[in-house]
Amino acid sequence: MNKQSIRVENLVKSFGKGDSLVDVIDKASFSVETGELIALIAPSGAGKTTLLMMIGCVEEPTSGQIWLGDEKVYDNKWLNKDTRKIRREKIGFIFQAHYLIPFLNIIDNITLLPQTSGQSKEESEKVAMELLKYFDISEKAHAMPSQLSGGQNQRVAIARALANKPKIILADEPTAALDNERSISVVKMLKKIAIEQNVAVIMVTHDEAMLPLCDRILKIENKKVVSTISRPL
Amino acid sequence: MINLAKKDISHSLGKFLVTAMGVGMLLGIVLIMMGVYRGMVVDAEILINDINADLWIVQEDTLGPFAESSRVHEDLKNSISIIDGVKYSEAITFQNIQLPKANMPIRVMAVGYDPFGNINPINPNRLIQGSKLTKDHYQIVVSKETGFKLHDEIILARDKYEVVGLTEKTVSSGGDLLVYISLKDAQKNQFSYSNNRVRNDRERGISGNDTTMVNAIIAVLKNGYNTDAVAKNIKEWKHKSVYTKKEQEDILGKNLIERAAKQIGLFTGILILVSTIIIALIIYTMTLEKMKEISIMKLIGIPNSVIIKMIVQETLLLGIIAFISGNIFSHLIYEKFPKRVVLEISDAWLLFIVVIIASILSSFIGVKKVISADPAAAIGG
Repeated sequence: MNKQSIRVENLVKSFGKGDSLVDVIDKASFSVETGELIALIAPSGAGKTTLLMMIGCVEEPTSGQIWLGDEKVYDNKWLNKDTRKIRREKIGFIFQAHYLIPFLNIIDNITLLPQTSGQSKEESEKVAMELLKYFDISEKAHAMPSQLSGGQNQRVAIARALANKPKIILADEPTAALDNERSISVVKMLKKIAIEQNVAVIMVTHDEAMLPLCDRILKIENKKVVSTISRPL
Repeated sequence: MINLAKKDISHSLGKFLVTAMGVGMLLGIVLIMMGVYRGMVVDAEILINDINADLWIVQEDTLGPFAESSRVHEDLKNSISIIDGVKYSEAITFQNIQLPKANMPIRVMAVGYDPFGNINPINPNRLIQGSKLTKDHYQIVVSKETGFKLHDEIILARDKYEVVGLTEKTVSSGGDLLVYISLKDAQKNQFSYSNNRVRNDRERGISGNDTTMVNAIIAVLKNGYNTDAVAKNIKEWKHKSVYTKKEQEDILGKNLIERAAKQIGLFTGILILVSTIIIALIIYTMTLEKMKEISIMKLIGIPNSVIIKMIVQETLLLGIIAFISGNIFSHLIYEKFPKRVVLEISDAWLLFIVVIIASILSSFIGVKKVISADPAAAIGG
């Protein structure tokens, strides 16, 4: 049975002070369940990356509440000052480009975070190899990122996001640098991960062609998360 | 746990090594500078140590031949030799001369001594070929660095001298190569005038010139006598300035080495400061090049400690490799310097400590950059 993985209540984000105060997000409230792939869309500059960063405990909201899994992490202030620990344990990030560490080989890129979290080298490498097999690039385990194609690197980046077994994946335009065919492949992969690994995925996208592949769409309009539209898969 | 510094360096090993070697060459120059100072100290004391006299008797109110001009009569040695406590005494001269050479004359310091006297300034350990002087005239012992060979003929003033011995690593306190000639030859060269000069002097009412002068009298004491007491006795009765070996070394230290030490010390300090700034700039640049990766690492949850460890390890390794290559570099080139360079292990260790401290200070710049890196910079391209 699916359960709430992300819950946001009355989330507000403003920049500036006094007369120059600008609201970017105004009282956003929504939730995402495990196994769901959500598309977050909005015009450029409307605040989708800001929203993603607030959920990802990178940017501090102005007010509101955020729950990640069962844990309330924000209630008008961070309830745990070590937001990096929250990110390390609960969230996997995927970016526009793969942003793999260029001086680490593929397997080291994937195992860096788990090993930092205390996993042994053997255990983390076993998980990494399983992920690489899952993404059909296990033969590239010891290659450097520069030796892989863009699509392969993006799959590695997704594997890295999953390496610490997070329950939330935040993807910031993961298909921006890919052609249409590869974009569809990546989004399908995210959907598959969401279901098979019981993960909630929020994906920022500009690409309308990806929307039918998502379970729901969150749209930011006039500073509010105004609509939640269900779309058939 | 993955060692990020090791992985980063392996990824760009060539660039890292070349950078470290570049800094190493700078550190090598620092070592050479320290070696130049050490060499200056050794050089300054060669002649004093080789002569190994207990007392130096020089012209009154002068500091002696290593600091300023001094002239005393040669026969002073006789009256010194009968002073209570003196075992024997000899006369000695020092004079800068030019040895003629096909391309360019060589400036040397000529030491004049009595070949049949009791004090021989030529250290047998430094005499590598031939013998010391065996005649009163027309023989010369030269430093091999002058380029002359055994039995070569050298013309000094109006006379031909035969090279009868070669020494090595013999230099004056000023760094000039040493040659040794007999006291009589030295006096003739230093104090006798040409015929024209003698005639000119006669017209002026100056009659003759004294060629029996020397620059100093040196004395060796009998066992059991206090050098200070004998020196005091000579000062009072002979109206001369008298210095012990230790005092001569101090005069050299004050007049020659101390100022050179300050000069070299300041230069060395500036070089170390420049090296530190260069290491800091390299680390800053290396950190800047990785800012995107650092932001990504911070965003995905890698603790600062892991990233800082990478920066500090890379800085220390840069310093250590630079130090090793600096040592290799300095050992490869130090013998090519015209003056003595003495590379001492203690100096190398001192530099190592300085390099490590400089590296740690330099890494703070990288660490500060890491701490201030915004993880949000990873998002949005």
